[in-house]
Amino acid sequence: MCDDLGRRDRLLNLFRISLILLGVVLGLVGCRIQVDHLHSTAARALAQTAAGWAFLLAGLVAWSRRPANRLGPLMLATAFALLLRQLRYSHDPALFTAFFGLGDVAFALVGHSILAYPSGRVTDGAERMLVVAGYAVAFCFPVATLFFYDGSPLLLYDPSPRESLLLVRGSENAVELLQKTQIVLFFGVLAALFIALIVRRLARAGPRGRSVLAPLLLAGVVIALRAVFECVFTFFDRPFALDTLFWWQISGVIALPLGLQAGLLRARLARSRVGSLVLELERTPPQGLRDALARALDDPTLELVFWLPERGVFVDAVGTPVDLPSEGGRALTRLDDEGGPVAALIHDPILLEEPQLVEAAGAAARLALANARLQIELQAQLLAVRESRSRIVAATDEERRRIERDLHDGAQQRLLALALALRTAERRHHGSLDPEVEQLLAGAVSELQDAVRELRDLTHGFHPTLLAEQGLEAALASLSARMPVPVEVRLQLVERPEPQAEAAAYFVAAEALTNVVKHAGAGTVSVVVEQRDGLLRVEVADDGIGGADSRGSGLRGLADRIEALGGSLVVDSPAGLGTIVRAQIPTRGAAA
Amino acid sequence: MDSALRVVVADDSVLLREGIVRLLEDAGMEVVAQSATADGLLRSVVAHRPDVAVVDIRMPPTHTDEGIRAAEQIRQRHPETAVLLLSQVIEAQRVMALFQERPEGFGYLLKDRVLELDDFVEAVRRVARGGTAIDPEVVSALMGRRTEPSALDDLTPREREVLGLMAEGRSNQAICRKLFVSPKTVESHVNSIFVKLRLLAEPDDHRRVLAVLAFLRG
Repeated sequence: MCDDLGRRDRLLNLFRISLILLGVVLGLVGCRIQVDHLHSTAARALAQTAAGWAFLLAGLVAWSRRPANRLGPLMLATAFALLLRQLRYSHDPALFTAFFGLGDVAFALVGHSILAYPSGRVTDGAERMLVVAGYAVAFCFPVATLFFYDGSPLLLYDPSPRESLLLVRGSENAVELLQKTQIVLFFGVLAALFIALIVRRLARAGPRGRSVLAPLLLAGVVIALRAVFECVFTFFDRPFALDTLFWWQISGVIALPLGLQAGLLRARLARSRVGSLVLELERTPPQGLRDALARALDDPTLELVFWLPERGVFVDAVGTPVDLPSEGGRALTRLDDEGGPVAALIHDPILLEEPQLVEAAGAAARLALANARLQIELQAQLLAVRESRSRIVAATDEERRRIERDLHDGAQQRLLALALALRTAERRHHGSLDPEVEQLLAGAVSELQDAVRELRDLTHGFHPTLLAEQGLEAALASLSARMPVPVEVRLQLVERPEPQAEAAAYFVAAEALTNVVKHAGAGTVSVVVEQRDGLLRVEVADDGIGGADSRGSGLRGLADRIEALGGSLVVDSPAGLGTIVRAQIPTRGAAA
Repeated sequence: MDSALRVVVADDSVLLREGIVRLLEDAGMEVVAQSATADGLLRSVVAHRPDVAVVDIRMPPTHTDEGIRAAEQIRQRHPETAVLLLSQVIEAQRVMALFQERPEGFGYLLKDRVLELDDFVEAVRRVARGGTAIDPEVVSALMGRRTEPSALDDLTPREREVLGLMAEGRSNQAICRKLFVSPKTVESHVNSIFVKLRLLAEPDDHRRVLAVLAFLRG
């Protein structure tokens, strides 16, 4: 198989070399004919030929570097059409008739090459129609001209007559009319449309597209120059500045294929960047993946999205679902592996013209993409878990609030009412009752009293109404007021934190203060609450005996609650040196 | 006994409200209206011009601070009607703000206090007469809160105890009974408190209130 490939390569090389030789010979023959039969200067003849050679060179390079791209062969065809066109100046009737009739197709091919840049295909409807019209005009008018040409001085040439093998009836007027109409159509109408389409393409392109399409700007200028040249040459008896115009436009025509080919090579350079992508990605963290791909594909607008099979959506690098573009100037390339989609690139549509490039980049990045997707999947799951944790905390808070309200408005009031009724009954029948009954009544009332008190303490710990109603400051003031030790409260709030953060801060203070009272034997306690940098910091410090166990269930539960909110809780309690409980709770601030 | 005190009672718990009404009527007061909501309370205050309104802090619809807001309005629009607030939990801050604004004819008791029938009835009477009644638990909570040094530090423990009872709204006689000391002793404690809080120059009634305020402010 290697041998086969080698042989094919050798054949291809041979073919290319023969194309070059053929081109050179054709060019030289054309030069000769122009000098001898048209009485052109050698310099002009050579310049005309050079345009053909430039297309030949550019076409060969493009074809060998980008074999799959049809632009190379198209430019080669243009090259030979241009070279053959020179043969129309020959006095030989057959050469004259053949290449006068077909020669202008070369111009249509030039236009076709430009519009086919960079993919090698003309896909746009308007551009396609223009190309077809170009071929039609370039073919029909010269052939028709030959029907009427009987040796009278042709507009474009030296006075010596040629012989048309297609002559039907000689008519100088018909020849002039056809010639002039062709110039107007070709270099007036079609050239103007052509330039308009190029401008449209450039205007529609993204940044990546514009840099690729740059050679089209050159093409536009060249076509404009050529059009002016042809019109001046045709419609003015004593053409002004014709020489200057000739040299400008011919330089442009020579530069044009080289520009197109340079543009193709640029994409080729991008391809070599894709080649080094694999190495680069080994050192790139997942967040850098998009940038690396954007650089390799030379598309700064590139977006990278990942497929999450569990959720059946594409997400961005932080796990937020992304809508894929349906239309509207963005293109999508999906990167799949055996298991289905992995990721997708949202990019400049210009890249669609080089699908292999995008595919190569995708292939290079596949492993890194799969890794990144795993990470993002994990992140998305983590996010979901965190969200559900905080929902659970919120639900718990809500439940506490409900229980507190129910107990307060229900059981507590009933027990109290019952106690009051008993006590009133006792009072009304004081002295008339059996002492034993009186004692029972008194006992019942005092039991009920205790029950009410216990319920009150219990529900208060659940969720203080004051916190929901008036916020942290009032709740902490009330809390500290109930403590048997002096509590210094310092509070610095920028805005009211959202209920969850507020509740967490309150419970930290409440739990810490309860512990102080129960265990610390402290003389003074301070509670400091500060809101800074999106964090609610709570610090409860006492001067007690220290040695508190941070794994105590109260603090442990609180730590869970705060971690669910993305915060942290630290207990610092060296024996004999007091205890400091510090909590940091992220807060977004609530509009309340 | 003075001509029957006219009272309105507002509490959304029917059982408890009726218990309180029964208690007050047994004590010879006239309950001119009952209400389960703050709006109903305000209407009956307008309609009956009672001597005193006994008001639960938490009432429908939100069960949060309806009573406090109603009390604010009553004190503003009908200063002749005294207000005794009842609450299940200590919500000192806002209530004490009301108190410090104008202590006369204002009281604040924990709800359980109704079980001390005599004390409760006495508190209603005192408030209706323009006096004050602050729940002992609130008083001790406010006392515990104090952290900054003040003139109160100069008081002896006994004087502080007396001042606490004054803050609850008790008269000298009541304090005598409570502490089992002679009226003379109480009087000397009270005078000593006035001296230490530098309130000697004020008229007697007024300086009593000022002392309590100083005490409650810490």
